[in-house]
Amino acid sequence: MKKYSQETLVGIFVLIGILCVGYLTVKLGKMELIGGDFYNLVAKFDSVAGLKSDSSVQMAGVEIGRVTKIVLDTNDFVAVVTMKIHKGVPIQEDAIASVKTSGLIGDKYISIQPGGSDEILKPGDVITETESAVDIESLISKYVFGNVK
Amino acid sequence: MAEKTADSGNQGFLGSINWLGRRTLEIIGELGAVGIFFAWGFALIFSLPFQFRKIIQQVYFIGVKSFLIISLIGLFTGMVLGLQGYYTLVKFGSEGMLGAAVALSLIRELGPVLTALMVIGRAGSSIAAEIGIMRISEQIDALDTMDINPMRYLVSPRMAASVIVFPMLTALFDVIGIFGGFLTGVVLLGINSGIYFNRIYDSVVLKDVTGGFLKSLAFALIVSTICCYQGYFTHMRSEGFGARGVSLATTSAVVISCVLVLVVDYILTSFLL
Amino acid sequence: MPEPFIEFKDVCKSFGNLQVLDRANLSIYQGEITAIIGKSGAGKSVLLKHIIGLLKPDSGHILVRGKPLSKFTKAEWKQFKRSLSYMFQNNALFDSLTIFENIALPLAERTRMSSAEIREKVMFRIEQFELGDVEHKYPSQISGGMQKRVALARAVVTEPDMILFDEPTTGLDPLRKNAVLNMVAHYQREIGFTGVMVSHDIPDVFFISNRVAIIENKKIAFQGTPLELEQCDDEVVWQFIHGQEVLQDQLTGLHSKLELERALKQELERIGKFQEVFSVVLFSVDSLEQIREKVGYIAAQRIFQCIGMSLRENLGTAGYAARFGPEEILTVIPQADSSRAELIIKEITAECSKQDLMKPQSYRKVCMDFAIKAGIVEVRNKMDLEEVISLARKHQKIIAKMECDRKRGPK
Repeated sequence: MKKYSQETLVGIFVLIGILCVGYLTVKLGKMELIGGDFYNLVAKFDSVAGLKSDSSVQMAGVEIGRVTKIVLDTNDFVAVVTMKIHKGVPIQEDAIASVKTSGLIGDKYISIQPGGSDEILKPGDVITETESAVDIESLISKYVFGNVK
Repeated sequence: MAEKTADSGNQGFLGSINWLGRRTLEIIGELGAVGIFFAWGFALIFSLPFQFRKIIQQVYFIGVKSFLIISLIGLFTGMVLGLQGYYTLVKFGSEGMLGAAVALSLIRELGPVLTALMVIGRAGSSIAAEIGIMRISEQIDALDTMDINPMRYLVSPRMAASVIVFPMLTALFDVIGIFGGFLTGVVLLGINSGIYFNRIYDSVVLKDVTGGFLKSLAFALIVSTICCYQGYFTHMRSEGFGARGVSLATTSAVVISCVLVLVVDYILTSFLL
Repeated sequence: MPEPFIEFKDVCKSFGNLQVLDRANLSIYQGEITAIIGKSGAGKSVLLKHIIGLLKPDSGHILVRGKPLSKFTKAEWKQFKRSLSYMFQNNALFDSLTIFENIALPLAERTRMSSAEIREKVMFRIEQFELGDVEHKYPSQISGGMQKRVALARAVVTEPDMILFDEPTTGLDPLRKNAVLNMVAHYQREIGFTGVMVSHDIPDVFFISNRVAIIENKKIAFQGTPLELEQCDDEVVWQFIHGQEVLQDQLTGLHSKLELERALKQELERIGKFQEVFSVVLFSVDSLEQIREKVGYIAAQRIFQCIGMSLRENLGTAGYAARFGPEEILTVIPQADSSRAELIIKEITAECSKQDLMKPQSYRKVCMDFAIKAGIVEVRNKMDLEEVISLARKHQKIIAKMECDRKRGPK
């Protein structure tokens, strides 16, 4: 036991501790050590029930960004969702953003379907084509009460 | 003095009101004493010359020596969470959520709390006993006569070390716990490892992590203050002196710290959510 | 008289309902060793703890060079405190630190000396107190006597002006006791600190102290030089010292010198009044110094023990016997003429001759002779004390003797 000095052991301990803290904050907590890897886009939805800030933004099932802010537009009473998208991913002007659920009761996320336009959205632009969240409860009740064809 | 005897002569209702009032005053006095003790000890951490060596020693004692036990407890906690979580989630067909369930419960709750409880048991009790013995064998008085501030010499390094050590041990606990969940969930029960980790990445946000660390910092201050306080004032106990006093001090250090950790955990959780 | 270094003025102190000090007055002078003696629980340690501020008086003042402690500024108090060292009754060594770290602690914590300087100072003390080989051990691994020396080393390492000793000799064996007291006296001369010592070791502590204070009944009953103490007629003081000496002489079965002198005086007075008779016997051991030197302290002590014990057996509580000079025992046998005294002496001779110490085989390393002599005086008329003793010396004859077997010589 006396092979290593107290300082060495404390040093090793602190190193491991910092690695664990780093793993939790940077990798799991996704703390941004270097900002500016992203650009912001805005989308308006009729309903974003279940979506949270930091929810995933995906395209073709691949994560391309995160939701940063959800606010209510008090003029139109729609939800305004701000997303950060990785810089390397271009979003076309006619892309469709929709709120989806992973699995039956899984997390909500935003899925973006690429459009065919040549025009690429610039940071701060608004995605006009949106689909709101599917309300599972009303779906189920429709199913139960036989309104679904 | 005369008033007191007159009051205690009153039977029944007034007597119990009297008792309640006295206990309340006692508890408030005690809280004030602990508060002052904490403030002094904490302030003296920053007094010069900085007691670097002593803090290192305490980090070694509280942290390094708890390393193995925390790893072990973390591993098994993660494993049992994986097992329990799997069998609960599989009923809803959402066993893919296992990673999230394990990581969130560890990071938000179990990591900070279980780490604090383990450190209380391992280091807190011995802090109380060590300082208590120094008190009854007049070593603290000896420090005082040498014009060495016993608070600065004994209490501050332990507080500083706790503040350093607790978050690190908590992080260690979390990481090893997540690995433990991986062992049962993925290796034993066959969940796809990509799903396990992706679920963790998706569900854990920075707020969870900082919340967990905030808790562990609060626990560090509570545990080090209570354990040092109990040891430091061993000689003021009315119910036992000498070795008996030290044993009582150690017991109450452990009990009070554990209770306070859980109470404060509840309060912090309700603020953080 | 010079101004006292530290002065207690009407200091009162109570713990709860128990009053320990009641208007205690005490002066301590610079460069002297002051011994504070008193029964257990009489408040000796309390007195010391007041000087260093571990306790505060309920009323009254403690003056340091004329200035009350309560009026000290923070800086003055710090400076004063740093010029003091306190040696605790149970040493209060830090048991989780090594001996070296223990001695170095006051330097390391409150000075900005480099570690090399500290090492030099500490090693100097370690050598001075002959602690060389225990430097890396922990306090619980060394003997009690060594712990005392470590505590003393820790006390002097800061080169204090004043050291307060709280029972430095309690719980040590007689040899160690003397060693500690000698050590204190020796270093006091060498370093020149002012010493305040709480002790039980009467009379040993008197030999090294310049002043003595006795606490009795919550007050300082006496303070002055040891010489003044010896001549003090105060009943409380006399009883105190007397009480301590009875315990001391349990070993030899002898009474204290003071007790004997009182008895002798009493008997002499009675002679004048009642026409009674009593005998005085003076025993002496020839060449006792030589025995001490060649054989040892214990052998010399044994001779006295033998005489003392058999005297006690034969006299019961009626007679008194005490060491008179370094080589003499004086005995007072009331209501006995010389023939009865002679009988008693014969008994003692028989008793002591049986002992190993009167047989040549017991002394293997040295060859020497010694003899026990006794002289009887029958007192019928009023006489002077000195007269009785010189008469007894004149009458002395050998009652037992030990001769070295010259032919065999020492083995």
